[in-house]
Amino acid sequence: MTDSAKPNPAKPKLSLVNRLLYGNVDRDAKGRARVGLAILAFACIYTIICGRLVYLASTSDAQGGRRGGGDIIATARPDIQDRNGEVLATDVRMPSLFGEPRRIIDVDEAVELLTATVPDLNANELRERLSSKRGFVWLKREITKEQQRQIHRLGIPGIGFRSENKRVYPNGPAVSHVIGHVNIDNQGIAGIEKWLDARGLADLHSLGFASDRQQEPVQLAVDLRVQHALRSELIAARTKYKAKAAAGLITDVNTGEIVSMVSVPDYDPNDPREALDKDRINRLTTGVFEMGSTFKALTVAMALDSGKITLGSSFDARHSLRYGKFSINDFHAQRRILTVPEIFTYSSNIGTARMALSLGVEHHKAFLKRMGQLDRLRTEIPESAEPLVPKRWGELNTVTIAFGHGLSVAPLQAVMGISALMNGGKLIPPTFLKRTEAEANELAKQVVRPETSDRMRYLMRLNAEKGSARKADVEGYYVGGKTGTAEKVVGGRYSKTKLLTSFTAVLPADKPRYLILIMLDEPQPLPETHGYATSGWNAVPVAGLVIGRVAPLLGIAPRFDLPPADRLILAATASTR
Amino acid sequence: MRIIHFCVIVAMIAAATYVYDIKFESTMQAERLARIRGEIRRERDAIAALRAEWAKLDSPDRIEGLAQRHLPLKATDARQFDQFANLPERPKPPLFADEPDPIGALLSIEQEKDIPTGSTGGRNQR
Repeated sequence: MTDSAKPNPAKPKLSLVNRLLYGNVDRDAKGRARVGLAILAFACIYTIICGRLVYLASTSDAQGGRRGGGDIIATARPDIQDRNGEVLATDVRMPSLFGEPRRIIDVDEAVELLTATVPDLNANELRERLSSKRGFVWLKREITKEQQRQIHRLGIPGIGFRSENKRVYPNGPAVSHVIGHVNIDNQGIAGIEKWLDARGLADLHSLGFASDRQQEPVQLAVDLRVQHALRSELIAARTKYKAKAAAGLITDVNTGEIVSMVSVPDYDPNDPREALDKDRINRLTTGVFEMGSTFKALTVAMALDSGKITLGSSFDARHSLRYGKFSINDFHAQRRILTVPEIFTYSSNIGTARMALSLGVEHHKAFLKRMGQLDRLRTEIPESAEPLVPKRWGELNTVTIAFGHGLSVAPLQAVMGISALMNGGKLIPPTFLKRTEAEANELAKQVVRPETSDRMRYLMRLNAEKGSARKADVEGYYVGGKTGTAEKVVGGRYSKTKLLTSFTAVLPADKPRYLILIMLDEPQPLPETHGYATSGWNAVPVAGLVIGRVAPLLGIAPRFDLPPADRLILAATASTR
Repeated sequence: MRIIHFCVIVAMIAAATYVYDIKFESTMQAERLARIRGEIRRERDAIAALRAEWAKLDSPDRIEGLAQRHLPLKATDARQFDQFANLPERPKPPLFADEPDPIGALLSIEQEKDIPTGSTGGRNQR
């Protein structure tokens, strides 16, 4: 700047520039020209300064923010919350210990000091790593702040820390099967965590974005309190009935939200090694089962929806149904002609089989297809199993599938189908995320007529008043339900002792809001169950306990002195028998 | 003319000082900004850690364990819930000081009968 200012004070003398530019011109013009030149020069300089200032102001932010003290702030994940905002999964900063072998002076000393501070470090392995010629080795991922301070004080050269995000699951195993877990590099490998990655988080990470904490939390439909209540009852039930496994599901029939999903044994996502155990799979989505009598609800609904069969129709259940070399018997054989409600409450295999046969194989197949029972059900969590559908579907298949054998579906799938029978006939794909009723209605498909749904609710309620579900009829909540006991296939034949019992309850039956499924895998008979291991003796009372505990949490007000089902449901909906 | 030159020189020096000042200030600000950013990040990390800890302490599993060990509470029964509509009307407050207080009277009767209070009835659902 001072250089360009020089021509000004040197005006009386003839400077180099003036001579070159003007030579012998008149003084006035020269004066004006010089002033003009000075103005031009200064304008230029100030423009440059202004421009530079603007540039600095607009760019220095970004540069300042990245100077992060040598951290790798990679792979932050959004929090996962339950429907009330309770934290289910979050990131916590944890220091990790690394070494730079080339800069280590005395390996033995370093090993000795480190193992003394962090006892679970393996001395041999540590020595081997530090003696290598590499520039960087991880010594231990995720140490505590206290350990970090101690190691820092030791002052070993060539040992450093990097702070990393560690995923923590404060509720331990409570919601494990829903949220899944991540690996040590914070990549989701199961459940909702994997879904987050698949939805684009992984791409963001690989591009280096999404590296700080400012991400919108993901809110699930799961209610942590309900989840806990269901889980603790299922664990108690599993112990009591010495079952191999127990599973439970609570969904909102009007929105398809999964409010709770438990499959015990489960695992702690903070220690995901357990998840590899085959016994700990999520039986509700990853396993497929023959659902037994629960499927009768679908058969009866199909019959009622066809319009050819009404609640007053009756079927012959006097003799067992012979089909080739097979003969179909009833568990609670009545040996008489049964009406549709009787078939449902006595859970008559013969009756439901005849009902399905009267409509034909193709009708049956088309109906189950429409109810989403024949295709793989996809939800947010990536684990899902394909239903096992018979390749050639003849009359015998229709007979057995009518009462729940010969077709294996994921229990979540069956729950979706039965929800549709309860909520007025709308098939809504289940979701683990929060969803409003309006959103659900946009996705919903009308699969049965609303009248059919009313009649099914009546039958479900009747079952709790007179049928096999009496032990789940918790006073005040107007429960309805259908039991299911399926014999498991062991070595190609149905076992008489290995049972899969289930109970599907609707709550409350007159105005359904929630569907509850309880499933026990191989429950054992107990003295107080009189040697029976069927659903009515184990899954149903468990459901009763669960409903008593969960209904207040779900905000269902208890009502007393309600009329029986034929007056409250049938009369109110003006259905004809 | 000299005065004008003098003025221009002074203005220039002033401008240079001013620009330098701004530059210096902006460097300071940038450093402060970086420091505050770091602090915010540390605070956020601390908040996240505390929230995780709170969630852990608040987890229903733990609370249930504690309640079972230390409290005589039992699971609620549907009969223990009642409607707001079923609450009795509040008695009129006494008009004069020497009149007996109706709620106080009720309470003293209750105490004489030695009824265990608290657990049942009158509770309303959330």
